[in-house]
Amino acid sequence: MSDQTHMHVEHDLAPGEEEQHSVGERILGYVVGLGLALLLTATSFFIAGTNLVWQPSIPVALIVLAIAQMGVHLVFFLHITTGPDNTNNVLALAFGLLIVFLVVGGTVWIMAHLNQNMPPMDQFIRMHS
Amino acid sequence: MLGKLDWSAIPFDQPIPLIAGGVVLAGILAVLIWVVVKGHLPYLWHEWITSVDHKRIGAMYILLASVMLLRGGSDAIMMRIQQAIAYQSQGYLPPEHYNQIFSAHGTIMIFFVAMPFVIGLMNLVVPLQLGVRDVAFPTLNSVGFWLTATGALLVNLSLVIGEFARTGWLAFPPLSELSYSPGVGVDYYAWSLQISGVGTLVAGINLVTTVLKLRTKGMNYLRMPMFCWTTLASNLLIVAAFPILTATLAMLLLDRYLGFHFFTNEAGGNVMMFMNLIWAWGHPEVYILVLPAFGIYSEVVSTFSSKPLFGYRSMVLATMAICIISFMVWLHHFFTMGAGPDVNAIFGIASMIIAVPTGVKIYNWLFTMYGGRIRFATPMLWSVGFMVTFIIGGLTGVLVAVPPADFMLHNSMFLVAHFHNVIIGGVLFAAFAGFEYWFPKAFGFRLDERWGKVGFWFTFVGFWVTFMPLYIVGMLGMTRRMQHYDVAEWRPWMLVAAFGMLLLTIGVLAQITQVVVSVRNRDALRDRTGDPWDGRSLEWATSSPPPVFNFAFYPDVRGEDAYWALKQHAKEQQLGDHPGPEYQDIEMPRNSPTGFVCAFFATVMGFALIWHIWWMVILGGVGAFATFVVFAWRDHDEYVIPAAEVERIDRINIEERRSLVSMAGAV
Repeated sequence: MSDQTHMHVEHDLAPGEEEQHSVGERILGYVVGLGLALLLTATSFFIAGTNLVWQPSIPVALIVLAIAQMGVHLVFFLHITTGPDNTNNVLALAFGLLIVFLVVGGTVWIMAHLNQNMPPMDQFIRMHS
Repeated sequence: MLGKLDWSAIPFDQPIPLIAGGVVLAGILAVLIWVVVKGHLPYLWHEWITSVDHKRIGAMYILLASVMLLRGGSDAIMMRIQQAIAYQSQGYLPPEHYNQIFSAHGTIMIFFVAMPFVIGLMNLVVPLQLGVRDVAFPTLNSVGFWLTATGALLVNLSLVIGEFARTGWLAFPPLSELSYSPGVGVDYYAWSLQISGVGTLVAGINLVTTVLKLRTKGMNYLRMPMFCWTTLASNLLIVAAFPILTATLAMLLLDRYLGFHFFTNEAGGNVMMFMNLIWAWGHPEVYILVLPAFGIYSEVVSTFSSKPLFGYRSMVLATMAICIISFMVWLHHFFTMGAGPDVNAIFGIASMIIAVPTGVKIYNWLFTMYGGRIRFATPMLWSVGFMVTFIIGGLTGVLVAVPPADFMLHNSMFLVAHFHNVIIGGVLFAAFAGFEYWFPKAFGFRLDERWGKVGFWFTFVGFWVTFMPLYIVGMLGMTRRMQHYDVAEWRPWMLVAAFGMLLLTIGVLAQITQVVVSVRNRDALRDRTGDPWDGRSLEWATSSPPPVFNFAFYPDVRGEDAYWALKQHAKEQQLGDHPGPEYQDIEMPRNSPTGFVCAFFATVMGFALIWHIWWMVILGGVGAFATFVVFAWRDHDEYVIPAAEVERIDRINIEERRSLVSMAGAV
């Protein structure tokens, strides 16, 4: 249905679909992305085992690096941009993040509260002995 | 060689499933022999089984749902009879059989009746309403349908080979774990849902893409018919929620097959995590079903009131609000699990809030009817019946959203009455309304109104007589899933409910009669114009049944209620001489057996997994994978309908319409 794909008013790209870039530009984009991803991965491994930084800050640093890693993947490999041709992709990403936040956050909260109405375990054992 | 499978899997000592299975098998064989002898097999293969036409696939979804409705309904009849006679006695169903029946009833009604019915209607109607020629991924669509059928087949296979789960429709652990359910019942349950779940996810992705990416000229978001909006919301929920179900069941299967401890009592497993995860899918699932239902009512109420939908934008807003909030309420299914007041209060309040957009919708339908010229055809009867019924179900829902009240009513018959109230009164009534409403579009002739009304009234009254007593016995302390009981106060209500079930059965029989009678009188009931109800959206702008390409030209949409505007325009112009449009070649996707073959191998694989026949698992897996590799390497995936053929088909439709408009002009 070739005529169908050309008839939209607002032209909108699917993830992975490229605009009219030359091959060289596209390869450059992927190489930069790969370089950044490797750099972030290497930094994570380095930080985890080093004494150079204050120890309690290591988990925070790892989380920051992980989020940066996700960003690199989204921008260079999945081609999520802020351009007007990308509205659907950005909205899909936002919806996905919202649902993951609700389900994971909700689950952690619920599971942490499950035993709230139970007496502490030692008290429980004393009661029944 | 055959894993756990041997002759003991056939329940020779239990006459009920054996006879039922035998009758069904004989029926299937008879149909198959008839098809082969009459020479319909090539037609069936080329026109239906391998079809990638969204209208055909939609019709097959609805057929599957209707057949499974009979199966799930039979389970319901058996349960009502059992509870009517099992007062101070064992009734006629032994406990292990009764437990399988209520588990199968719930599983079938949700996954293989409500889901395929709703998805079938969306498939059939949404591309037509959007004014396009097909869905985004036609072959994937066919794969989705056939995988759903695989799931249904496996569930029914459990009737005669082995057993079904005895755990309730969500298979809560630890009961569903290997130590308490060592048989194949839970495996039948889990694998059929895993396979049909893939089908549902695929359908969801397909429909989301269709609504977002394929719309005709001028059909921007705020001109889409309401049903397209609810389809979008519902399928967004499918895409977001079904992976949770798949992951949860996968963990349960890992527990059962490979000795993991996700949900076991011992070795650090956490049973509560299963409840949490399954309801994180389960509550959105409720809205996956009911949102398209709301869309159907919107279309029907607006058409039969001859008015645009009241508050269209507030309806869109309410739909999308429900879409998001439905992911914030799942804990209300397990208030009693032990969470503290903070958690219970927040989720209780969220559950009450979600009733607000639903209420907005009810008012919108009422105001749509207000001042309209209402025609009480059968689809409209179902819609008005829904409004009356659903309000009661919604109010009892708000009641059990209050945690202290829920502590009293949890797991009681009150709850059973509540969710049947919303699922039958909401989803099933909508399925029937949509069936009556769009049947002429799909098959080219209307359904018999008289039998339709008989069916409606018996179902409507039958529903009330069956389920209001269940509210009452719930208040009297009866818990759900009881195989027998000794409390005298419950007995009369159980008898009333059984009588209601009789009325419901008559309702179903009346609807079957309706279809048979209508097929016989199809010439008298023929819909020649493509617009039998004086419709407002684009599906009525093409002939009934629509040609395979739906529209010879993409309609140009200038506002809401696209087709209504076109008709007004045509009348004002005293029907125009079409300025002889240039017909063009149309490319359509080729039919493909991919879906059917994939599902065949998926069935083999599912069956083998259930019975631990490992060589067959590999065979099925490799076969399914090979099928899609073959499909991916195809050379020709489209064929061309020449312009002359398009013109010939379209001229017939134009002539019919011309006579309609000139007649209307004369009046």
